[in-house]
Amino acid sequence: MSPTATLLRKDLRLAWRDRSGWLSALAFATISILVYSFAFDLAAADIRPLLPGVLWTTFLFSGIFASSQSFQRESESGTFDAMLVAPVSPSAIYVGKLLSNLISLLLVELAMLILATILFDTPLLTGELVLVVFVGTVGYVSLATLLSILGNRTRTRAVLFPVLVLPLLVPLLIAAVQATGGALGQPLDSAPWLLLLVVFALWSSVGGALLFPVVAER
Amino acid sequence: MNMSLVVLIVGLGLAFRISLGVWGASIMRNKGRPESFGWLFGIVLGVIGIAICSFWPRNATHPRQKDSGPLAWGKNTILTLAAVLLVPIWNVRWIALPPLAGITVMAMLVGAVLAAPREIIEGEVQRIMYIHVPVAVLQYLAFGITAFGSAVYLIRRDMRWDAIARGAATVGVMLTAFALLTGAIWGKPTWGVYWTWDARLTTTLILFLIYSGYLLARAVGGPNDEQAARYAAVVGLIGYLDVPLIHFSVDWWRTLHPQRIIFDSKPSLPGEMLLVLLLSFIGILFLMLWLTLLRGTTEYLVQRADRLRARLDQLERS
Repeated sequence: MSPTATLLRKDLRLAWRDRSGWLSALAFATISILVYSFAFDLAAADIRPLLPGVLWTTFLFSGIFASSQSFQRESESGTFDAMLVAPVSPSAIYVGKLLSNLISLLLVELAMLILATILFDTPLLTGELVLVVFVGTVGYVSLATLLSILGNRTRTRAVLFPVLVLPLLVPLLIAAVQATGGALGQPLDSAPWLLLLVVFALWSSVGGALLFPVVAER
Repeated sequence: MNMSLVVLIVGLGLAFRISLGVWGASIMRNKGRPESFGWLFGIVLGVIGIAICSFWPRNATHPRQKDSGPLAWGKNTILTLAAVLLVPIWNVRWIALPPLAGITVMAMLVGAVLAAPREIIEGEVQRIMYIHVPVAVLQYLAFGITAFGSAVYLIRRDMRWDAIARGAATVGVMLTAFALLTGAIWGKPTWGVYWTWDARLTTTLILFLIYSGYLLARAVGGPNDEQAARYAAVVGLIGYLDVPLIHFSVDWWRTLHPQRIIFDSKPSLPGEMLLVLLLSFIGILFLMLWLTLLRGTTEYLVQRADRLRARLDQLERS
């Protein structure tokens, strides 16, 4: 079994045993969708123009919330040093962590899409929209996983991490919101938003795999 | 505008600034200058070596293969010119850069306020262009230096490159803040709004945020904290690689919205305005390079002082 798959299995098993991580992300996402529906009065008017923004801010904030702690357990219990000492490429550690973050966030996002379908009476589980959500999630999770290693040592991480990640994610947010709007039947301009999402996902995952060994070393 | 007045003011400023620069340089020399960046001399000497080798007369019987033709000649000329220009400039950087920056910036101010003609439509507020445009363009150079320094730091693990990257990022954040501020001052009377989500404006704002984050991440650790330096270098590098993505996304995004102002139809500048603009580009370039050098050297000295303090503590304890 490859080291990446081993690490992925370890992470998934830990996530299943200690359910606090993804359950709190799920609760956070649910509450933020509810907060949006109170704040914008989403039940009243035609919500389609607002819905992509609501969905993606929820995804981004809960994703950052969840992935900011992705290496916390390892660094607290000393597993991280052990993983670095092990004869495994650090990129494999990164890919394993990225996949486990991706799986848990995709599940949270799936739950949010179902919830929004029920709440706003709009069919959201179409193929195009699921594709957009998947590609966008790959893009932001790979960047957030790379930068979340800052959490290993800093006291100010809770503030600093979103401040670092969100400006870098602006192109992804714009492209994802526009592509989601297109998938929901909004009038779309000719810009290739899905292509931009794919480029961003490739850029951030390749960059993360290349740069992770550098930030991980002690 | 009366040209003789301009010449007089510029000349006075020149004389004042040169004397100030020479005075400052003499102070620098008396205090002893910081440990010189020996590696750069190495690079420069290497360039000279390449140039000499390529110009050296070869054995006529030995056939020349690649080093002939106009292309090789042009390459050799460029290399030699770079060697001839770079060495003196680097050697006299502390003496030359302050007066050069002072003279050109002063000439820029005089040119922008007095010499350039008044724009008919926009009026006096248009003169802010002479400082806004160079600042807005040269911020990319400053952040480019940060990204380059970060990349070299990640490869070489030499803390001096971290100092350079950090110094350039400080200057770049200052330039972006200045560009946003002057843009807002100009935008209110001209467009009627302080801010609009134009591609260039938004890219500048996001760059400002990214590199403020870079400075924050670097400031988390001490001057010699290699982990913080590595982490910040990764942010500095991917932040710059993010620029094309940001620009494309914001550019396409903006086309969805109704546009109040047409940005693309730029009126061609008359010659005098172009001359002043060129002058201000040179001035801001010198100023930026000087400030970057100053900040970078300061960071480097702070690192050395921190190392010395740590060693002193160690000696006292033992």
